[in-house]
Amino acid sequence: MVGPALALFVVMLVVPVGLSLYLSLTDWDGYSANPAFVGLKNYVNLTHSAEAIRAGWVTLLIAAVGTVLLSVFGLGFALLVNGASRLNAFFRIVLFYPHVLSALVVGFLWSAVLGTSGVVNGWLTSKGAEVLPFLSDPKWALASLIAVLVWAGFGVNVVLYLAGLQTVSKDLLEAARIDGATTRQTFFNVTLPALAPVVTVNLVLSLVTLLKTYDLVVSLTGGGPAGSTQTAAYLILWDSFHNNALGFGSAQSVVLMVITAGLALTVARLRARADQGVQA
Amino acid sequence: MARSARKPGRKLGLLTSVVILVGAAGCGGGFSDDKGAAGDSTGEVRMLVNITPNLTKSYWEGLVKPFEDANPGVDVKIEAPTGSGVKDTLPQLLAAGNAPDVVETLMADKVLAPQMLDLTDQAWTKDTPLVEQASLDGKVYTVGVGQQAQSLVFYNKDAFAKAGISAPPKDLDELTAAMGKLKAAGYLPLQTAGDYVTGLQLLQLSDPSIATKHPDWYQQINSKQAKVGETMLPLLERYQSWIKNGYVDKNALGLKDVGAQTNFLSGKAGMYVMGSWFVRTADDAKPTFDLGVFAAPTEKGQPSPGPQGVTMAAPYMVLKSTKQRDLSVKLVQWLVTDKTAVQSQLAQDGNFRKGYTEKLSPLGKQVQDILDQAPKQVAQGEGYGANTLPQGFNGEWNKAVQSLYTGKSAKDVAARIDSWMGSKS
Repeated sequence: MVGPALALFVVMLVVPVGLSLYLSLTDWDGYSANPAFVGLKNYVNLTHSAEAIRAGWVTLLIAAVGTVLLSVFGLGFALLVNGASRLNAFFRIVLFYPHVLSALVVGFLWSAVLGTSGVVNGWLTSKGAEVLPFLSDPKWALASLIAVLVWAGFGVNVVLYLAGLQTVSKDLLEAARIDGATTRQTFFNVTLPALAPVVTVNLVLSLVTLLKTYDLVVSLTGGGPAGSTQTAAYLILWDSFHNNALGFGSAQSVVLMVITAGLALTVARLRARADQGVQA
Repeated sequence: MARSARKPGRKLGLLTSVVILVGAAGCGGGFSDDKGAAGDSTGEVRMLVNITPNLTKSYWEGLVKPFEDANPGVDVKIEAPTGSGVKDTLPQLLAAGNAPDVVETLMADKVLAPQMLDLTDQAWTKDTPLVEQASLDGKVYTVGVGQQAQSLVFYNKDAFAKAGISAPPKDLDELTAAMGKLKAAGYLPLQTAGDYVTGLQLLQLSDPSIATKHPDWYQQINSKQAKVGETMLPLLERYQSWIKNGYVDKNALGLKDVGAQTNFLSGKAGMYVMGSWFVRTADDAKPTFDLGVFAAPTEKGQPSPGPQGVTMAAPYMVLKSTKQRDLSVKLVQWLVTDKTAVQSQLAQDGNFRKGYTEKLSPLGKQVQDILDQAPKQVAQGEGYGANTLPQGFNGEWNKAVQSLYTGKSAKDVAARIDSWMGSKS
């Protein structure tokens, strides 16, 4: 019974990761039959690459800010649409809908809204106002990217939190109400602690997803302006295929994989410790 | 620079796919170092092509139909890229031991050439456009259908008239002066955009003056007798002054190429620097103003017109690993020499070739005149053949030029690109 699953695991995960590790130690350009072994040169070059380091920081910023926003908006909207009315059912679909769209479509859609000649700036200029540099200024472009990532992704968080809210003990909520707890007190002392495992899942999933941000960068900002919104995943593909440096790209992907796993494990452990504290 | 495929795609899984596939290749046939097998006189020829709004799969299938009809038993199988373009699909296929017989779009460089068939002994290649310039160490790997003129400035003649500009500028000082007049007349002087456009336009503008001042620019750069940033610094400084004076939109980086074209064709801007493929877009748009084109100006004191940046249109190569070598070569020969096939490809993607002028639009004829009058045709950016810069130069240059909009100085940009070049040596 375990055999097919194990074979799939090996083929789809162990082999690619192993080959990635191997390629990261070579100078493979994507074409040559016999790439030369270069040891740790690609990793050393990575530490000297201002562009890769910058992309790493941009990725971490997106992941940190995006994860917090996804959780806050996810939980906030979940609380708003938690209940068995037709209107809530409608809003749940509306909130989840952006996640159904391809990230590429979302990016092109928002570039038409936020671009220099986009809907928003068209309206602003028609009113005699200045154009806002949503996608043309590095800081604005990064903020726009994070905002669109959150818009496109928080539907999943809403669904997860909604599922979590169904598990909150009705008895506890009722007891809090009888004891005269305010809504705020009930939320922070009953609902939120009960949601702790869901919060952990949300944080880890959001973090891992955002650390791999790629599609939306391509379609919304193209990594610009001046490379200011290049993420680690974007740069990996850029270096690998535009620059014919698959060895260097593989080294970057190995580092990204290690960082992602490390951060996800750290968040999960911290949350587990916090959960234990709550239970104690 | 050919319009590189910039369509986003399923790249994220691509690296993993390549990794899996190279493993498969390691277990299987791997790469071929021979010159392919001659093959039969019938059978299947697989051709990997670029797919764009102009060059659809059905267009390609229709293009090769006459070849199939003339060669009974031959089936030309058109293959679209599975990645975001031909450039990232070909390594996948090679790694999987499943390479096509013919590839369109790419040009041979030192990385690609070892995988491609040497066509030097094919007499018919001698009469194809840019074949000599694209050759590598004297060997022909790439043949093309036509040329793309690069150093072109499309302009709004009505705007020029309103601004009191009587003739197209011939040098860069005149160009800058014209920008001032256009701005005073209420026009955006030069339309640009983010994406790949920013860096491309500056390369296109630089071709005539750089090639005049440094006839062996690529050789000087590669032998470290000159630096890219240093030689480009005067133009970077000029561009910086254009941004400062509002001759380009300071928010242009928030525009994509299509948005820039729309702005220019709607009559809001005076000029738009772009390659000859823009002719087809402009002809289809039928702008309400009188649209003209002139060759990119040279530096003051240099002869005008200067050398014209050109790239090969619809380049083809035959893969060395092919099992249908003779049929593949025959197909490529037909694609680049058959009059009807050539005419069709030129018209479909707005390209040019000497002797194929009868179906050109008035704007197209102006471009052909510019090509004919250019004293020399030169490579641009990453280049081709003997005139090449490291892979990735165009993208790095684009990012560096865009940083002029985000507060960097021309000297910063020059230093950045020289530093990048240094890291590639």
